[in-house]
Amino acid sequence: MTTTRQPTTAMRIAAAAGGAYRGVFAESRLAPLLSRPQPVRRTGFDLDLSILDRREEAEDVVSLVLGDVDGRPLPSWVPGAHVDVFLPSGRQRQYSLCGDPADRRAYRVAVRRIPGGEGGSAEVHGLRVGDPVRVRGPRNAFSLVDAGSYLFVAGGIGITPILPMVRETERRGRPWRLVYRGRSRASMPFLRELAHYGPAAVDVRTDDVTGRPDLATILPLAEPGAAVYLCGPPALTDGAWRMLRDIDPAASLHTERFSPLPVVGGRPFRIRLARSGVTVDVAGEETALAAVRRALPGVAYSCRQGFCGTCKTRVLDGRVEHRDRTLTARERQDAMLLCVSRASGSLVLDL
Amino acid sequence: MFRLPRIGRRPVVDARGARRHTDQSHAIAARDVHFSWEGVPMHYIPGEPMATHIINVMHLVLPEGERAMSKALAEALPLITDERLREEVVGFIGQEATHASSHEGAREHLATLGLDVEPIARKMDWLVDRVLGEHGLTGRARHAWLCERLGLFAAMEHYTAVVGEWLLEAEHLERKGMHPTMLDLVRWHGAEEVEHRNVAFDAFLHVDGSYARRVRTSLVASFTLATLFLTTARYLYRTDPTPGARRWWVTELLSATRRGVIPKATIFLTEIPKYLRPSFHPSQLGPMDTALRYLARSPAVSTA
Repeated sequence: MTTTRQPTTAMRIAAAAGGAYRGVFAESRLAPLLSRPQPVRRTGFDLDLSILDRREEAEDVVSLVLGDVDGRPLPSWVPGAHVDVFLPSGRQRQYSLCGDPADRRAYRVAVRRIPGGEGGSAEVHGLRVGDPVRVRGPRNAFSLVDAGSYLFVAGGIGITPILPMVRETERRGRPWRLVYRGRSRASMPFLRELAHYGPAAVDVRTDDVTGRPDLATILPLAEPGAAVYLCGPPALTDGAWRMLRDIDPAASLHTERFSPLPVVGGRPFRIRLARSGVTVDVAGEETALAAVRRALPGVAYSCRQGFCGTCKTRVLDGRVEHRDRTLTARERQDAMLLCVSRASGSLVLDL
Repeated sequence: MFRLPRIGRRPVVDARGARRHTDQSHAIAARDVHFSWEGVPMHYIPGEPMATHIINVMHLVLPEGERAMSKALAEALPLITDERLREEVVGFIGQEATHASSHEGAREHLATLGLDVEPIARKMDWLVDRVLGEHGLTGRARHAWLCERLGLFAAMEHYTAVVGEWLLEAEHLERKGMHPTMLDLVRWHGAEEVEHRNVAFDAFLHVDGSYARRVRTSLVASFTLATLFLTTARYLYRTDPTPGARRWWVTELLSATRRGVIPKATIFLTEIPKYLRPSFHPSQLGPMDTALRYLARSPAVSTA
C-alpha cells in the first residue's frame, strides 16, 4: 500500500492492536481453545420429488404437481417463489410456483411448450405421473409484499407467479385488480380458477379481440401508491418503469429478476491463466467466467451481467471485446469483466 | 434459554443446525444502479451539517470495509457446502461491490465541492489493509483468521441492517428536505442491507459458529464502528469549509440525535445483548416488506 503521508500515531496504535489481536486469536497456540467451532449447517435446498399429478391447462400448457414420495412436508414459500427443475437431460429450468402456499405437501408448476425452443419445455411436457424429478428451492425473487392496493399484470404463462398472489391478496382483503393478457382465451391457462373473482377484478384481454398489448392503457388502472406486479413477455413489460414513474411516483413496480441472459453471437476463444499456468477454451455459447471456473472454481464473481465488477481481472495480453457496463476507458486498457466480455483471438489473464 | 458455549470438545454440528431448510430462500442479487450527483450540495440535509457528516462517514468508511468483507466472504465460499447459502453469498458479494462503488461516486462528488475527504479515505485504506488483510497466514492460523473476520463482518452487518431499517422509516429526512439523490442512495443501500441481513451471519455460523468468537467479535465490531463514526464525523464537521459560526460537535451530535435526524449512537451498546442471544437470527429483525417495496420504486434501480 502506498501512502503519501505518514500514518498518524492513532493509526499506528490501531494497526498494532489489530496485529496483537490477530496474534492471540488466530496465530497463537491458544487460539483453538479460545474459539471452539460450533457450525450450523443446513441441508435440503435440493429436493428429490416425484410427479403426483399432470393436467392439460390450455393449448400447449400443462401443469405438474410435485411432492415428496414419503409425504414429508416441503419448505414453505410466499407468492412469487420459483423452483429450479433438473430435467432428465441435465437441463435446469426455473418455473414459478402456482399452487397454494398453504399446501405444504405439494408444489404446482405450469409450463408452456415453446415450439422451436431449446427443448426444455418439450421435455417437461414429456414427464408423466410417477416420474422422479429433482428440484432446487424454492427461491423468491418476486416477493409479494404488503401494500395498500395491488395491480397485477400478467401476459400468457406469466400468470403462474401472479395466481397465488391474487389468492393471497383476496384472502387479506386488500383491493386488487388483475389484467390478464394472452393471444386467445384457448391459450390462457387458469381462466377457470380466476373466473369466480368476477370480471370487475379480473380483466381478460386477448390479442384476437383487443389487439396488441399496450401498457399505457393498463398502468393507469393502478390506485395511487399501489404495488404493481408485472410478469410477461418483453412486448408487454418494456418501458413499464418510466411509464409508471410518470403516472404515479409513489407506486412500486415489481418484476421478476431474471438470471443472466444466455451468450449471443459469441465466438470461441482461448484464455491462458498466467499465474496458474493453465489454458482454458471458451466455447461460443459460454462465458469466459464459466470456462475459467472449470479450472479455478474459487474465482470471484457475482452479478454475471457485467455491472457489479466483482469478476474484474487483469489482462496481460490480447485484445478484449468489452461487453460490460461499468469499466472506464482507462480500466479497459488492462482489465476485463470475465462474466460478459470476450475476445476474438486469445487472452492472457493474471489468474 | 441461555446456553453456555461448549468448551474443550470436538467440533459438532449442533442439533439446531442439523435441521433441513424449512422455508424459501430469498434470492439475493446485485442491482444495476445509477446516480447522478449533479446539483447535490455539500449540506444535502439543509441546515443539518452534523447529520450530513454522519451520512458522509458512510461514503468514506464503508467502501473499504465492504471490499474487505467481500474478499473474506469470497475466501469462505469454498468452505460452504450448502448450495442455498452459496447462492446467497455470491449475490451478497455483488451487492456489497455496488454499495462500495456508489458511495465512492458520492465521495468524489463531495471532494469536488471542497470537502477534504482524501485523508480519511487514505487512512481507511491503510488501516483496512493492515488490520483486515490476509497477512500471508497459512494452515490453521489462516482458517482461524478467516473465521475471526467472518465473525467481525457478521456483527457489523447486524448494525447495517439495524441502520438500514432506520433509514427506510426515517421520514424526518424527507421533511428536512434531504436531496432526493442522496436520500435514494442511503435508502437503496439500507434496503439491500435489510434484504441480505442474514447472509454474513449464516456464513459465519456455517464456517465456524463459535459462540466465544461471536461474543468477542461483536464487542470488537461495536467498539470499532462507534469509534470510526464518531472520530470521522468529528473530523468532517470541523474541517467543513462552509463559512459560519459552529457549535461544539458533541452538542450538535446530541441535538441531531434528539431531533431524530440520525440514529442513536447508543445502538452500539444496546444491540449487543440482542445479537448475542444464542437463539438470535437476523430473520427475527422484522418484516422485509418496507425494504423490498423501496427497492421496487427506488429511482436508482433500473428495471423493466
